[in-house]
Amino acid sequence: MESTRLWEPRVLIVTGKGGVGKSSVAAALALAAVRRGRGRPGRTCLVEIEGRQTFSRMFDTRPWDFTEREFRPGLFGMSIDPEASLSEYLDLFYGARRLSKLVVGSTMVDFATTAAPGLKDVLLVGKVKEMERRRDPDGRFHYDRIILDAPPTGRIVNFLRAPEATTELVNVGPVRQQAQTVVDMLLDGRRTHLQLVTLLEEMPIAETVDSVHALRSLGVTVGPVVVNRVMPARFDEEGAATLADGLGPTQVAGMVGRGGLALDPAAAAALRETGLRHLRRLALQERMRRELAARVDLPTLELPYVAGDDFGHRELSVLADAILRATDPGR
Amino acid sequence: MTVTAAPGVRPTPAVPARAAQATARPRDLTAVVRGRRLIVCTGSGGVGKTTTAAALALGAARRGRRTVVLTIDPARRLAQSLGLRALDNSPRPVRGVEGLHAMQLDMKRTFDDVVERYAPDPARAARIRSNRFYEQLSSSLAGTQEYMAMEKLHGLHVAGEWDCIVVDTPPTRHALDFLDAPRRLTDFLEGRLLKVFLAPGLAAGKTLGRAVGLGTGLFMRAASRITGSQVLDDLGGFFQAFEGMYDGFKRRAQSVYGLLQEPGSAFVVIAGPEVPALREARFFLRRLQHEGMPTAGVVVNRTTPPPDPALAGLDRGAVAAAAARLDGGVAERTTAQLLRLHLDRVDVVAREQRTIAAALRGLDPPALVQVPLMDSDIHDLGGLAAVGRYLYQDG
Repeated sequence: MESTRLWEPRVLIVTGKGGVGKSSVAAALALAAVRRGRGRPGRTCLVEIEGRQTFSRMFDTRPWDFTEREFRPGLFGMSIDPEASLSEYLDLFYGARRLSKLVVGSTMVDFATTAAPGLKDVLLVGKVKEMERRRDPDGRFHYDRIILDAPPTGRIVNFLRAPEATTELVNVGPVRQQAQTVVDMLLDGRRTHLQLVTLLEEMPIAETVDSVHALRSLGVTVGPVVVNRVMPARFDEEGAATLADGLGPTQVAGMVGRGGLALDPAAAAALRETGLRHLRRLALQERMRRELAARVDLPTLELPYVAGDDFGHRELSVLADAILRATDPGR
Repeated sequence: MTVTAAPGVRPTPAVPARAAQATARPRDLTAVVRGRRLIVCTGSGGVGKTTTAAALALGAARRGRRTVVLTIDPARRLAQSLGLRALDNSPRPVRGVEGLHAMQLDMKRTFDDVVERYAPDPARAARIRSNRFYEQLSSSLAGTQEYMAMEKLHGLHVAGEWDCIVVDTPPTRHALDFLDAPRRLTDFLEGRLLKVFLAPGLAAGKTLGRAVGLGTGLFMRAASRITGSQVLDDLGGFFQAFEGMYDGFKRRAQSVYGLLQEPGSAFVVIAGPEVPALREARFFLRRLQHEGMPTAGVVVNRTTPPPDPALAGLDRGAVAAAAARLDGGVAERTTAQLLRLHLDRVDVVAREQRTIAAALRGLDPPALVQVPLMDSDIHDLGGLAAVGRYLYQDG
């Protein structure tokens, strides 16, 4: 599987260890999906499920809710909550207005989700499934791509197992049917990929390795691994070699002097040490890259470290470009 | 850009950053590991909660206090860093550190133990454990993990054999869930729903139906449409089996909540230098304030250490100008990159400190510790001790 296969399914479920930048990557994937589709009319929807308003902050929009809103040309966003999903579901299947009214008071949702734990997750993913299946009057799918910012890897297995657990617990009725169609979508690699995000660091890599196994044993298809915050090399090969042996503190002071700046020996040594530290960090990163390659049989897609006071559209745009360079090399 | 602390360099005392030194707060958590009986580490996922908890526990034990660290993190890496093959649901001594014990919360086992201990008789305990709804509740229901952490904490506390208990909170979507979950569970257990299910047969639908303003038939129809009737039976059986045990659940949850509020307890809020983690830390600090919980301080892990003092006097413009002039051979090119690398680091440090200051504005936590990014992950007691050197003074 090459990283060009990232776009094969229409649903990308993004997960990763806490702190690896899962939501930023989900947002960048959504931006990339839209750019990729430029020139033909298409729609991408970015979906948030935990009501944290991460994306409305990132994209500087009004708060997101259950309504799918186009906040950039071709790019929609929405925030799924289980109550609204249950209400919609009842409306859809029963035309049960009285029931949905009842559901608005959350007693019923509390009741239902307590009676069948995991039902909440079924409702959340069920909404994604509804969006995936939705068709326009001309028969084409309404959305080209749906990107779901899912729970972190620590909770993803329970989250994805919920529909199946529900089919085990509830053996008849509409909930079972709903859960079954959700399971069908999740297990179909042509429709859905799990998109893991990691860093070139020990713990995130270890967790990625564990997650690939756990997810595959659920039967889902895991897409190319997105490696976030990769530190770019600042020296070319020749430069790195020179720094490592030829260029001592005295030479550094001499060179800086040629540039018109006087450095005392301590400062020259410290400046050189800054470079050596960078090289050590790169070497560590390279070791981690090899470790990931050795332990996970999936292609990787590396995204550069992007600095910024607040992670917003500019930073996401850089990441989206990096994604497209990897997935659509001839573009 | 990430930068590593140079290996072998003795760390500067806690809070190396100038911005933090300017304020007059105690610099570290020495008093916490010396005197507090309960230390709760909290923060969003991936910020190093478990490592910080272990390092704090190490500090307490090294002061001669009988200490146990309770981790919720299912990863075995903490066990490894403590030299243990695996952790389980009861405290195990850590070899090489007198008085230090470690354990890992097993949610299902803890719930089973609670049922075992508080059920009126063995037959009732067995009935609960064989209920399908209990299976789900004890292994996956949101909130159960937090609740069981509380139960475990209660058990450790009343055992009375620990001078210091350190706990890291579950990786919930919001660190706040840890405070809310027990209350949610007890609300749920003593709520309307429960009363409904304790009433036999159709009365259930009637009572609940009335509670939400519907007739019996419609409610039961709605309920079984959503969940299936088998589920309702399981749930009813579960609630009935638990009858008489609810007060105990509630009492223990309240007792732990009270314990957390005592001055002998300490909340340590942990973050990384990134905006989302710090934003979460800010929310949590405000929440602790609001709940009257004793906040001991903030730990920001993996910060970028400031450049060497020898470089502090360099003028930014002059450095940039020198870098621009150097474009000759490989030595000049490399030197120009060194200068740019230095400027980038200055920027990163400044940005991190701005972000930290913004997150803590107006909150004034008693302590603020920054632990710089280390060369590698923490693998052993030596690594924990290295983190500890930033958190507290040698004891």
